[in-house]
Amino acid sequence: MFKQRIDQLIWQRHRRILFAIAVVTLLGVLIISLTALHSVVTNNETHQLVDANLIRQWRPYNGGYFSAYSMWLFLAAWLSGLAVMHLDLRDNFNQFLFSSGYSRKRVYWSKLKVTWAVLLLLDVVATAMEYLIYWIGTPHGYTWTIAWPGILTSWVVGLSMSIGLFAISWFAAVIVGQSGPLIATVAGFTISLAGFAGIGGTILTKEPFSLTSDQVMWLSLIVWLIASVILFFWGAALYQHLSLEHNGEYLLFPHLRVPVYIVFVLYVTLLFSWSSDGVSTVVSFVLSALFGYAWLWRPRLGEKWHQWREHNQG
Amino acid sequence: MTLQVTALSKQISGRPIIQDINFEWAPGEIIGLVGRNGVGKTTLFRTMMNHYVPEAGQLTIDGEDVQQTPQLQQQLFFIDTQYNFLSTYRLWELPRFFGTVYPQFDEKRFMALIQRFKLDANSQYRRLSKGMRALVNLILALTSNATYIILDEPFDGLDVIVRENIATMVIDEVADQRKGFLISSHDLNELDGLSDRVLLLKNSQLVHDYNLEEVRARAKKIQLVLNDKVIPDVIKQQGKLIRVSGRVLVVVITDYTPAIDQELKALHPVLFEELPLTLEDLFRANLAHDTGYQMMK
Repeated sequence: MFKQRIDQLIWQRHRRILFAIAVVTLLGVLIISLTALHSVVTNNETHQLVDANLIRQWRPYNGGYFSAYSMWLFLAAWLSGLAVMHLDLRDNFNQFLFSSGYSRKRVYWSKLKVTWAVLLLLDVVATAMEYLIYWIGTPHGYTWTIAWPGILTSWVVGLSMSIGLFAISWFAAVIVGQSGPLIATVAGFTISLAGFAGIGGTILTKEPFSLTSDQVMWLSLIVWLIASVILFFWGAALYQHLSLEHNGEYLLFPHLRVPVYIVFVLYVTLLFSWSSDGVSTVVSFVLSALFGYAWLWRPRLGEKWHQWREHNQG
Repeated sequence: MTLQVTALSKQISGRPIIQDINFEWAPGEIIGLVGRNGVGKTTLFRTMMNHYVPEAGQLTIDGEDVQQTPQLQQQLFFIDTQYNFLSTYRLWELPRFFGTVYPQFDEKRFMALIQRFKLDANSQYRRLSKGMRALVNLILALTSNATYIILDEPFDGLDVIVRENIATMVIDEVADQRKGFLISSHDLNELDGLSDRVLLLKNSQLVHDYNLEEVRARAKKIQLVLNDKVIPDVIKQQGKLIRVSGRVLVVVITDYTPAIDQELKALHPVLFEELPLTLEDLFRANLAHDTGYQMMK
């Protein structure tokens, strides 16, 4: 499947987890597609599985009963980024990779290459399977009509979103060393992006930008892709300096603690106090500052309390 | 061909674990690395293997920096006994990984050794006993055909028979001068008869590099039975008493000269017998104060 030995090594290592992700994705696509075909008949609202007007526009298709690019593919990309980068740390495969005779740079890009080879194949197979189910399974008397503008746009936007989601979980797995907190961090951040996108959209559609919703979407997509590329290269630079004595710590790069703290406090404050009054901003700031401190420094408050009490009593 | 470690230093949480480590290692050598638990033996190995990023120093093979030419790392073999990826894999799966990384990996020999030591190839590594895991690690090390093999406490948990088998295998491997071993241990008896050289790690630093052949050429371990219980001055000054039992003395003299021999014989001992000199005797006699070896026991 892969010609280069380092790619073969990465494939050997991750084929099981990637296969599991692929199976879950395909099952998800199968179930969602069959459910949609069943519910269109049950609901009896329409006889068109695809809205003909929407699918002919150069916009990602977002009608009911059919998704041109399955949501399951977003999940597959997000999970793959997390798994391929984090499992090597958790299972101590990094030790083997770092002494394998391949530079860390090659290891990093090989992991990315192998994972994306599988994800692209999965995208093609899952999409083909979904379309085949609709093509074969469309009930008698119903129509399933697709058109290139809506399909192509959906694929481009869907793939870009997948790349971005992958980049987020991938980068988080480069810098965070604990499984549970990593999932909590990256899930929290990914979900919060919906709120952040909303704020961005509000700013861009108003004066002085006054962009249309289509312009906002394409601009966001470009920013999203640029951010992904930055995360990939930043991750590569950090991976080069990853020293495994920090295995099991929340941050694998202790010098990132203060910058991460500052970004976290600003981001959360902005998210929770946007278009609110000053009191909300202060409360958001204080809470995020306290939570961020507890999360990143993990102060042993109980232990310190006992030490302080013993000291005072002593 | 030579591997050279130069000025290697590593700190963890701001504390120096190894400092300014320098040594050379050539194929054909079996080097023992001794030091008390926690002195930094494993950290040295992990830093040499690029698991840890060092604060300073470098590792070169034939003058080429391993950081600049990562492929050279394939000449080094080390399995971290604490942190390795083998747990979830079955023994028959391991050659796929090691064969991809070590170009000379000998899969046939790997399977033959697995059979020879009556290990089940279908067993998961984590299901094996501590001794069996140590055996698998050694089999992987030998069949990797890497030039420089690092073994971290390889005899820990092994029974005497397996230990002897392993020691024989290691000695056989270096016979053609193509492979070298760096073996860490906190138990000097394990390295006895195996190592040519001993590196001693103390307080994060390599404090001694002994060529055992040279040391042994000068030293003698002697059992004496004297006529009275008074310990003669020559023994007090020139030797180190290993055991005193009534009038029976066992003494190690690290620089045994004809003059000392004459002095001892002039005491007209009832018994004067030369005993085999072990690595532990040497350390106890010569280096105990210097190295903190007595604290290792």
